[in-house]
Amino acid sequence: MATVDLWAKEGYLSTPDGNSIYFWGFAAAADAPAQLPGPLLLARAGERVTVNLTNLLAVPVSLVFSGQGRIEAGGGPARPQYDPDGRLFSFTDVAAPDGGTMSYSFTPAFPGTFLYHSGANPPVQVPMGLYGALVVRPADYDPALPAYKTAYGFGTGTEFDREYLLVTGEIDPELHRATAAGTPYPIHRFKPRYWTLNGRCAPDTMLPDGVAHLPHQPRGAMIMAQPGERVLLRYAGAGVDSHPLHPHGNHTRIVGLDGRLLQNGTADLSYKRFTVLVNPGQTYDQIFQWSGLGFTPENPIPTVLPNIRNLAVGEAGWTMWSGSPYLGRKGDIPVGVVSYNEAGEYHFMLHSHEEVKITNWGEFPGGMMTMIAIFSSLDPGVGVLT
Amino acid sequence: MAIVARRFGATDGRVRTPDGGEHYIFGFVDLTGVPEEEIFARRGRAQLPGPLLEADEGDEVFLTLTNLGMPTRPDLDDSHTIHWHGFPNQIPLWDGVPEASLSVPVGRDFVYYYRPRDPGTYMYHCHFEPVEHIQMGMVGPLIVRPALEKRPEFAGRRFAYNDPTTEYDREYLVFVTELDADAHAAVAGVQGFDWTEYRPEYWLLNGRSYPDTVRSGPELPRQPYSGLIFASPGEKVLLRCVNLGYQQHSLTILGITLRVVGVDAQPLRGKNGEDLSYYKNTLYFAGGQTMDVIFTAPEPGVYPLFNRNYHKNTNAGRTFGGMVSEVRVE
Repeated sequence: MATVDLWAKEGYLSTPDGNSIYFWGFAAAADAPAQLPGPLLLARAGERVTVNLTNLLAVPVSLVFSGQGRIEAGGGPARPQYDPDGRLFSFTDVAAPDGGTMSYSFTPAFPGTFLYHSGANPPVQVPMGLYGALVVRPADYDPALPAYKTAYGFGTGTEFDREYLLVTGEIDPELHRATAAGTPYPIHRFKPRYWTLNGRCAPDTMLPDGVAHLPHQPRGAMIMAQPGERVLLRYAGAGVDSHPLHPHGNHTRIVGLDGRLLQNGTADLSYKRFTVLVNPGQTYDQIFQWSGLGFTPENPIPTVLPNIRNLAVGEAGWTMWSGSPYLGRKGDIPVGVVSYNEAGEYHFMLHSHEEVKITNWGEFPGGMMTMIAIFSSLDPGVGVLT
Repeated sequence: MAIVARRFGATDGRVRTPDGGEHYIFGFVDLTGVPEEEIFARRGRAQLPGPLLEADEGDEVFLTLTNLGMPTRPDLDDSHTIHWHGFPNQIPLWDGVPEASLSVPVGRDFVYYYRPRDPGTYMYHCHFEPVEHIQMGMVGPLIVRPALEKRPEFAGRRFAYNDPTTEYDREYLVFVTELDADAHAAVAGVQGFDWTEYRPEYWLLNGRSYPDTVRSGPELPRQPYSGLIFASPGEKVLLRCVNLGYQQHSLTILGITLRVVGVDAQPLRGKNGEDLSYYKNTLYFAGGQTMDVIFTAPEPGVYPLFNRNYHKNTNAGRTFGGMVSEVRVE
């Protein structure tokens, strides 16, 4: 990546309960829709990055890049911007409203996961959706060579087979309504009703990338892998609240924090957790592996699976279950229940453990929730960040 | 390696707060060893938190969940599950997520199987409509004890992990949740509740708020776990702290520094054996996290344990209440 163009625009988010929410976001092209989160910026450590921002909104917009030093804007060092009364209104140089542009450039020194977002009136503009993620590859990154397909470079113990990015956010519809209407909004009353992973609320999080009916939310949040694979999970806290994300199926090993490898010299500081608290502006790089318990039809489970007609399957009208205890097998699903299970894969929920946040305006299931699907066989092209 | 056979019932009940309040709950009741013909009589007797589930590393645990139904809400035919939060390499069948396998309707049994390999402090809870069922009280503590205790040279001694530096003399649960009385009243009254309006006014330690936390008698049969911590000077005390609320909490014990030896049922050791344990005066943790901390009991006295988010040391706004208890060294 040498040069990326971003457009700040308006658009409408879709929530699974039927709401349509006005938002501000970054688009990848002049004629492309604004998206939440903004386009993923993929960079390489040591290589210059230039981001050209064109602002189509009616307010000034700027860009800040977390964890990056020596950012240049408009040809000189990026500087905070003050209004004529000396009051700060942007952390960096702005693109003027209604078509103004600003060019930012920097050279990422470290690999890892980072955030970018508007630095102009961020208490409003970040919750409105002007945020995205920046992933910096190590200088020696080479996905064709397993020892060099790493989060932090050769020999750092951060090799991975597949990788996924989960950007957290919150939506208070009242902020969006007031912004669209140009009416006052008391920002200290911020009260989210929706919580998002990659800009989507569950169950939309489990839909593929780029589904036609979500033009402004092109990025899915489904995690897919095979048993034993090393899955790099990148969490990025783009919103203003903290979220304890909990994956079922196994702990994660946190290998990087805020884009820095958890090592001091030869001392390993990585750690395993079953819940990590994703705080605003914070990122985690983690390795998730699910290896199973070894049960197969030849090595059967030690409990009796009762007649499933006596149990509850898919009470919502749908299930992700195969009907079988065994990976890669299909079993019985009661008549009338739709199973979204494709190939006998296992599904494990990944969600905020502040359970209020796995609702859409109070209704479960929704919000900050997705699934980790373990397939017995999965195309190697799945789980590639682009 | 032993076989651990337990049976929990899912039902409803009521808990009390020290201000005279009574709150409708869902929860678990221990049916282990209860004759089949007496099980029906356990309906409506859920406890908060649920019965302790404990096992040794390598044990085979067969946990039967029986859905007893809700006597106060006979209209409510919700199914239930048990989710062992943090169990490594689980399969969906025993993971208790209704959307990913199955749940247990009223009047039915289901057997969950676990062979725990990693010692530490976990939690279990129902995962059916979890925002409602967890807040309503379908939560409980879970402990896996290390194989180290069975080695002849360590016979009779107790450890948090397979690490001799995690030895302790006494252990206590510090299980924290919150209670929003409006949500509980709405569920009791067959009314909908907008969970984004969740706003608890009681903060519970082992299912009780102060001063009930410092009672140790039988006066709270549905809240059987006292919050009192007793020790003699010089003894090592292990606190198994679990947050199964929807808020982040900040626990502190006045005058006692805590050594954090485990988080999320993982000993604080690096991949090369580095000692990554550390000392804290305040434990800050989020819902779905656990912390194992050890302290050496100081000279005799009463050491208050409380939530440093001071507004949580109240019962519906009145001080002192909520998440407050005592360490009594005597």
